Amino acid sequence: MTSAKKHIRHYSYYPGCSLHASGREYDISTRELFKALRLGLQEVPDWFCCGATPAHNVDELLSLSLCAKNLSLAEDVEGDLAVACAACFSRLKVTQHHLKEDDSKRKQVEIAIAGPATVSKTVKHILEILARDFGLAKLEESVKKPLLGLKVACYYGCLLTRPPGVPELDDCEDPSIMEDILRALGAEPVKWSHRMECCGANFTLSRPGVVLKLSSAILKSAQEAGAECIMVACPLCHGNLDIRQDSIQKYGTPEGSLMGNIFGSDFAPGSEGMPHRETPIFYVTQLAALAMGVPTDKLGLESIIVDPRPLLKEKQLL
Amino acid sequence: MQTSKKAKMHLSNETMNVGFVKKVEVLSGTSVRRCFQCGKCSAGCPMSSFMEHPPNRVVRLLQLGQGERVLAGRSIWYCASCETCTTRCPNKVNLAAIMDALRKLSWDADGPSKESYVQLANRLFIENIRTYGRQYELRLGAAFNMRSGQFLKDLMLGPKLLSRGKMKLFQSKNKNLPEIEAIFSRIEEMRKKGEAL
Repeated sequence: MTSAKKHIRHYSYYPGCSLHASGREYDISTRELFKALRLGLQEVPDWFCCGATPAHNVDELLSLSLCAKNLSLAEDVEGDLAVACAACFSRLKVTQHHLKEDDSKRKQVEIAIAGPATVSKTVKHILEILARDFGLAKLEESVKKPLLGLKVACYYGCLLTRPPGVPELDDCEDPSIMEDILRALGAEPVKWSHRMECCGANFTLSRPGVVLKLSSAILKSAQEAGAECIMVACPLCHGNLDIRQDSIQKYGTPEGSLMGNIFGSDFAPGSEGMPHRETPIFYVTQLAALAMGVPTDKLGLESIIVDPRPLLKEKQLL
Repeated sequence: MQTSKKAKMHLSNETMNVGFVKKVEVLSGTSVRRCFQCGKCSAGCPMSSFMEHPPNRVVRLLQLGQGERVLAGRSIWYCASCETCTTRCPNKVNLAAIMDALRKLSWDADGPSKESYVQLANRLFIENIRTYGRQYELRLGAAFNMRSGQFLKDLMLGPKLLSRGKMKLFQSKNKNLPEIEAIFSRIEEMRKKGEAL
């Protein structure tokens, strides 16, 4: 019966590379959540990599051109462009900003993509769609299984809100959009210090020791604030806090040690280990879909490395 | 020209490379002269403990025409592009863009830097876009280990990720691959003709 109901709003969708690989549960839960909220979601056909941080790090024109081409592919699909990955979101927004503000850059990009670089597509992060398009009040009304008693640290990371004036998602130093969504779902956001600190991002490939150092500070801060889990909206943040949590807790920070340089983080005991306490890392869409009553086997919970199911069982949410 | 950190700095027309700084300013669209060295960027920088020149000193060195000193170190490659510095600068110096510009100039010149792993990771990431259209994480990790000589790095992660469906064994090629290749070659051509930096 529900499938016959029309979508209340329609979005085009740019999942990004991570959501088809290491962040697959973000993709799965985003689709399930949109279905539950009766929001249409159609993937842009044959989208390709936005270039992420490595491209703009060394070649801004390449980065802008890759994003501009993806934006023009998105023109063929109806609705604002929904983006889940914080890095893709940031790159697409930054590209639109440059195309609007800088004529000479736009001209170069147009030569590179051999076509017009349009900025008419509105790019929206999933958080924006939930909190503003769908609306917090309606979100609260739609909750079937409130996440009562769940203490969550909302982690924004770097790219959702910075730099000022570009992503226009929320205040760039003191945002509240994740906490607002979480409250609507019935959970309890904790106050903590490391909401906006960097997790080490793509150093996970080149210098994992950097990630271990930065992410261990984030985990420690969340735990000290009484959080039972962390909510993120970026597949890179998730990867660093979840996939590397084990190494962080066992080995501390091996950067600089001989063993660390040769073998990487897995075999290099560091000095600053931390007390072993598992902190599951959820995507915002997983918690939202859970609250909307999406069957728990459709949330991709089994893909999370630090198993969140014991915690959810303890809170009688599973 | 002396480039080591502790070497005494002599400022003169001969030792100040102003042309380099102008290039950085054009590429980044921001002026290094606006910085009055308050140090907020370095205070908020999550990576400054890994850098020999923290962000405010990078700008100071640029103001003094000492771009070579900056490029010789690892600071620019240890910037995480988190944009905290740009966000907090009271004088609206877009430091993250300056870092991008410095990396580009170092990258193009294939210049000397102590940090090769980050450059290798960037190179492989961009190669993946050109070859597959999307990121192929297994290849990224495997190629990084092979080329960096860290053969056992993160070996334990592979099975963990594969068993949870978080890593694909094979990556199919994107249908827009010819278009992607064309973007790469058009940019190369523009640079050859001097139409783009």
